[in-house]
Amino acid sequence: MEGRALDGSRAVVRRPDVPLRSLLPLGLFFLLALAFPFLPLGERAEYLMQIAFFTLVAGVLALSWDILARSGQVSLAHAAFYGLGAYGFALLGKVMPWFLAMPAAALLAGLISLVLGAVTMRLSGMYFAIATLAFTEVVRTIIQNLPEGAAGGANGLLVPALLGGNARAQYFLAFGILLLTALVSLAIRRSRLHHAFAAIRQGEETARVLGVSVVKYKLLAFFISSVLAALGGVLYAGKTFFINPLETFSLANSIAPLTTSIFGGLYTTLGPILGATVLRVAEEVLHNAIKNGYLVVYGLVLMLSILWLPRGLMGLLRRGKRGGDV
Amino acid sequence: MTVMAASSQLPAASQRDVVLWAEGLSKRFGGLLAVQNVSFSQYDGEILAVIGPNGAGKTTLLNLLSGVYRPSSGRLHLLGRDVTAEPMEARCHAGLGRAFQIVRPFPEMTVHENVTVGALFGKPGVSLAQARERAYDLLERTGLAAHADKEAHELTLLQDKRLEVARALATGPRVLLLDEVMAGLRPGEAQEAVELVRSVRDSGVSVLFIEHIMPVVRDLADRVVVMDQGQVIAEGTYHEVTANPQVVAAYLGTEEGLHA
Repeated sequence: MEGRALDGSRAVVRRPDVPLRSLLPLGLFFLLALAFPFLPLGERAEYLMQIAFFTLVAGVLALSWDILARSGQVSLAHAAFYGLGAYGFALLGKVMPWFLAMPAAALLAGLISLVLGAVTMRLSGMYFAIATLAFTEVVRTIIQNLPEGAAGGANGLLVPALLGGNARAQYFLAFGILLLTALVSLAIRRSRLHHAFAAIRQGEETARVLGVSVVKYKLLAFFISSVLAALGGVLYAGKTFFINPLETFSLANSIAPLTTSIFGGLYTTLGPILGATVLRVAEEVLHNAIKNGYLVVYGLVLMLSILWLPRGLMGLLRRGKRGGDV
Repeated sequence: MTVMAASSQLPAASQRDVVLWAEGLSKRFGGLLAVQNVSFSQYDGEILAVIGPNGAGKTTLLNLLSGVYRPSSGRLHLLGRDVTAEPMEARCHAGLGRAFQIVRPFPEMTVHENVTVGALFGKPGVSLAQARERAYDLLERTGLAAHADKEAHELTLLQDKRLEVARALATGPRVLLLDEVMAGLRPGEAQEAVELVRSVRDSGVSVLFIEHIMPVVRDLADRVVVMDQGQVIAEGTYHEVTANPQVVAAYLGTEEGLHA
């Protein structure tokens, strides 16, 4: 046929999903992040380490959100899973060592996400977003109205400090969780999950006609995403050692991963991590430069960059290249 | 109506196996009975056309067959198995493929990735590497191999239709449903599409298609089912149904006419 005559090669079949070359920037990021605590940070070391820690957490939150978004589910429930991780860790940490409480809290959030995923299965677009937003409010309200002895009520809850409050150890734990999130993201990219998620996102009914088990893959996306988001919540709770419902389940925690991923580059591994880094650093710099109204400038910068960079920072990095979104 | 009475029972005496059997399918939307007690059988290796004037219920019937709609009453059997209650993806796994009239490529995927989705999920237990190979084979078969790396929106309409067929074939169907694949094609392109459908059948896939263009129906169909106002009014070869006074009456006065 026409095709064979023009192109006898089957190169397209053998081409790897994630070319090694495209992993270079990601590897560079993790090398820099690993080296960061060993840099001569001077007398502001404590402050800088704290910013770096929360940058890693923001990366975990954004990248885990992006994994869910890849399946077409644009969620505003990320604060709920982040918060369930934080509260789960605070409460479970009372009855088991931290290294068990951490995965247990994440697993708990993952199981609860399956309930939300099942309920919102048939919703899409704005209706899905609103339902997930409402879910966050429901979870917050429940936690807030539990007896104070159980979850601290509206006042909040003390959390045992992670790793005895050792800032450097905490940083490396956050580094490890972000690395784990990135590895999960890359593993998805190389597996059948990537094809299922992308097909569902780009045409759910067509995907079903082609045999994609939409229910299974949507729930799987929810589970993976919320387990990772909850690990981010554990880091947050263990670092601040005091959590309350209003801040933990705040709308900002649901919006931030969305804007961060869009800013960095949707449906990629590096994009949300890069977005989190640039935005967190920009926020701090602006905050120090203009005490009042820094949020206005921050918002403006975010808006303009989203307008000018439709594919986010990744669009700048990969200008002119095609496919292989890493 | 003798035709319907005959086909509402499995024709056991038939030499060939029945791959698709619709048994009294009806679909009601509020007060409108869009499809009314439709029965027919499709035999293995057969190209079956469903024709009828606009609003006859052809597309609703196709949606009942592929599982977009559940019937209000009636049963559907695929390869001897009752699939009436099964969702779209299960019907796909059971051997039913569908190409849409309005092409629906996944826009952010390459042509090869589009077909890989069908190959990967159409049947359980296919590995990613196998799916890629199979997808490329199908691109070669449908004349799209040279475009494997393009994004779907870069294709011409004819190529898009080929992609639609390649992707449906990638799921490994025994029965392929085609919804007006000739729509929008120029005469020369339509001829190529006719050849493609023939080659699909020759590869062992039974084809059920909806079509408006009568010369295409004449050239392709082994048998024709004619629908009007939600019901089957005739069934037979192209020449039998076009000579049927009831069919002529249904088409008379419509814009298309029977020999448009």
